Amino acid sequence: MTDQSIHIDTSGTFNRDVRTGGSAPFWAVFKRELGLYFRSPVAYAVAFAILFFLGVLVSGFLSQASTAQFPADSTYAPRLLVFLLFLVAPLLTMRLISEEAREGTLEVLMTLPMHEGQFIIGKFLAAWAYFTLVLALTLVYHLIMIAVGVPDLGATFGAYFGAWLYGGAALAVCMIWTAITEDQVVAAFLSAATILVLYLSEVAAISIGQQNPALAEFVRELGFTAHYDSTLLQGIIRAQDVLYFVFMIIGALFITTRIVETRRWRA
Amino acid sequence: MIEVEQLTKAYGDFTAVKGVSFAAKPGQVTGFLGPNGAGKTTTMRMLTGFMPPTSGKAVVAGYDVFNQSLEVRRRVGYLPENVPLYRDMTAAGYLQYVGEIRGVRNGRARALEVLDQVGLAHRANSRIRTLSKGMRQRVGLAQALLHNPEVLILDEPTIGLDPYQVLELRSLVRELGRDHTLLFSTHILGEAEQVCDQVVIINQGQITAQGSPTQLRAELARGGRILMRVDGDAQAAADAVGTLPGVESATVDSTMGDGIVITPSSADLDPRTTIANTVVTRGIKLVELRPLAVNLEEIFLELTRQQAAQEIEQEAAHEIAQDDGDE
Repeated sequence: MTDQSIHIDTSGTFNRDVRTGGSAPFWAVFKRELGLYFRSPVAYAVAFAILFFLGVLVSGFLSQASTAQFPADSTYAPRLLVFLLFLVAPLLTMRLISEEAREGTLEVLMTLPMHEGQFIIGKFLAAWAYFTLVLALTLVYHLIMIAVGVPDLGATFGAYFGAWLYGGAALAVCMIWTAITEDQVVAAFLSAATILVLYLSEVAAISIGQQNPALAEFVRELGFTAHYDSTLLQGIIRAQDVLYFVFMIIGALFITTRIVETRRWRA
Repeated sequence: MIEVEQLTKAYGDFTAVKGVSFAAKPGQVTGFLGPNGAGKTTTMRMLTGFMPPTSGKAVVAGYDVFNQSLEVRRRVGYLPENVPLYRDMTAAGYLQYVGEIRGVRNGRARALEVLDQVGLAHRANSRIRTLSKGMRQRVGLAQALLHNPEVLILDEPTIGLDPYQVLELRSLVRELGRDHTLLFSTHILGEAEQVCDQVVIINQGQITAQGSPTQLRAELARGGRILMRVDGDAQAAADAVGTLPGVESATVDSTMGDGIVITPSSADLDPRTTIANTVVTRGIKLVELRPLAVNLEEIFLELTRQQAAQEIEQEAAHEIAQDDGDE
């Protein structure tokens, strides 16, 4: 028994109120989760894989472009990154709630004086902040484009801004699955499938276009790509596309909050 | 202060907690005693605002657990069963994190203060994964104490600790009970008897008895049987005692080491003096004469046995009724 024995000092501390309002609880959650990304091998692996993969493809694109006289296109990297989100977003979000549910720490969180929405927003913002950082790192390709040609700055801005929103929406949708299942692998798999479906909805819309044009239009509008590929990626920033992504984020986080709340009834 | 009235929690067909009512007063340790699966954790989870009751009412620190959940959670320190912690954080870091969510002033200083209080200051910067089970238990307890809550709810705080740590934790619980409303659950009877000012016994979701350990002991001892031990012929002694006024029966029980179990004819009657006199005048050597149910363990077993017996009876009656219906 090497433990120092418990000595009791309850006198004097009890009547002192140690509570103050302080900063919002979500801020504490945000800081912890963001810190975890920088200590987690998965997050580094994701960042490494993205940058390596994009690096290889962009350099290939550059060598092709220089021989075939393509225009310098800075939207190449964000477009690829958006495609890769079906892998990136699940990997960044899968443990956020599943792990807490499995380890039982969610029970502690849910008996702390904060609303479920607070820690869900904190966790989501941490994931989005990490994604933002990775996205910002890909700006290096834009710098290379500037060095070798004259990229369209408007399109670049739209593409990056759009990719940022797209990433946020994808991460928010993944939050739903990590709230539903305690199994990280299941959460990641279902998240990947959902993101892929939302990415491919434009293709699905084309195939059902003949039979039911109204449904096709709905499916098209529901997906991510209809709000990115032909508008933001070209540098066209429309309110409806921005609002689409914002509402996707808010809607998905709302559903996530509700699912976590139901744990109280199921527990 | 914790006041619970007719608290019920149902999961579909299964009712885990059925109309539980009790009160825990400030400055007292209230023990929540029952076998595993009796509904202790479920009740505690309702009291901490983790989950809502199906029906009934609970007021903790002056606030309703259902309608004023956030206010309740501000005033309750909760140590869940199995002590879930973030294993990748340091002990102090974890407490600082919880403190920040709770809005505790001077988070770092307060974290170190409570760690010191539970005797873990020397491991403040160790990762929780490297701490022993007993140390983790204390980190969990520190978490519950962090915001100086009025009410402390500890779910099986001594489970999985070595005997020495159990003793330490019990003394800490007793100390904390002096200036908190402290509710703690256990399935160890001796523990409840040692630590608690008040014991609430719960079995199959229902409260079977409550009161101070002395009260409970007295209650059952009064209506209960008497154990006599003699040096010599036990059967002869039993025969001699069995005919006395105020004695219903006296039988030799081989499971009690040939002790004689005496049932008084009335619960309010204590025929011990009469028995002693008779035995001694007849020249029988009396070794021991005492009420049979003297510790919580016996009371508890008695109560749960009664309930089980009742249920078997009810089931049998139910079956008979069904059989009648079939004909």
